[in-house]
Amino acid sequence: MEVTVKIFRYNPEKDTRGNYVTYKVEADPNDRILDLLEYIKGKTDGALSFRRSCAHGVCGSDAMRINGRNRLACKVLVRDVGENITIEPVLGMKVKKDLIVDMEPFFDNYRKMLPYLINDSPLPENGRERLQSPEQRARFDETTKCILCAACTTSCPSFWASDQYYGPAAMVTAHRFIFDSRDEGASQRLRILAETDGIARCHTAYSCTEACPREIQVTKAIGEVKMAIMTGKID
Amino acid sequence: MGLKRDVSLSTGLRYRGPGGYLTFILHRIGGLGMAVLIAVHILASFIGGKLGAGINNIYENWAFQAFVFFCALFHAINGFRITLLDLFPKMLEHQSEAIWIEWAVFIPLYGLCLYVILSTGLGG
Repeated sequence: MEVTVKIFRYNPEKDTRGNYVTYKVEADPNDRILDLLEYIKGKTDGALSFRRSCAHGVCGSDAMRINGRNRLACKVLVRDVGENITIEPVLGMKVKKDLIVDMEPFFDNYRKMLPYLINDSPLPENGRERLQSPEQRARFDETTKCILCAACTTSCPSFWASDQYYGPAAMVTAHRFIFDSRDEGASQRLRILAETDGIARCHTAYSCTEACPREIQVTKAIGEVKMAIMTGKID
Repeated sequence: MGLKRDVSLSTGLRYRGPGGYLTFILHRIGGLGMAVLIAVHILASFIGGKLGAGINNIYENWAFQAFVFFCALFHAINGFRITLLDLFPKMLEHQSEAIWIEWAVFIPLYGLCLYVILSTGLGG
């Protein structure tokens, strides 16, 4: 089948604004959008720029807007989106070139969540790992799946309004550590999240959950953190 | 260097979010609608006289009433859903179903309001 692929293009050395270029590509319904991009880059237009790495939905490099929704190009098939495909960079971040955006503000917000285990207590007597029951692990299992692709954060209208807002991905990271029984930094993180640019800016638009390629219940995780801030309890 | 990050209203509205995104937008329109009603009402009372009565006619108009009812009812029902889900975050797993229930409550209620407004406004 022949598909029409309309791609957002922006070259910082030449353009003052972005434009769209349309390509006609012969594709199989089971081809991925990433395959189309690779084909166009390899055969038609070598200047086309986009991020990709593992190409199997694990690294999270190729988040982009495909037919108006945030998705990973390596996880969407042509048959899922039809013959007319529009590919644009994710919203709310500066476009560096074509489909490549500046992820720095995103990772700045991620780092604010102290994304590492905080535990100053002495090690158990045997000097080995801090044990955790399966139930304790299950409490934050879902939020460990985040691959930091930014699909959730860049689908969030509150983030579009201000990149100072920490955004859903940062909050998912915070959730992952706050509810980890081995971690002792929950109160620090909850204090950070209670700030002006924190959790209060989540207006439950639910776009983040729909955008997540790992099917994490992002809004639910944020809701649990909101409740922890309100009650001061982590259970 | 890079193309600026601002997301215009039209770009934002074109994002194909799920049901929750539509309710997010309508919630804001609802809030603005009610703010307009209150502003016009206060203005009419403040000015008074013929001009005040003229402004009164704007929000007593059936079309404006239908709009304001939409705003107030949707804002209230959607706000109730958000509050409930905020209080019981485990229910957020069923957010899509909650949105369907919200529409199932809103549509007949608003339909009834609209019927009353139209039959009163147009029927005399």
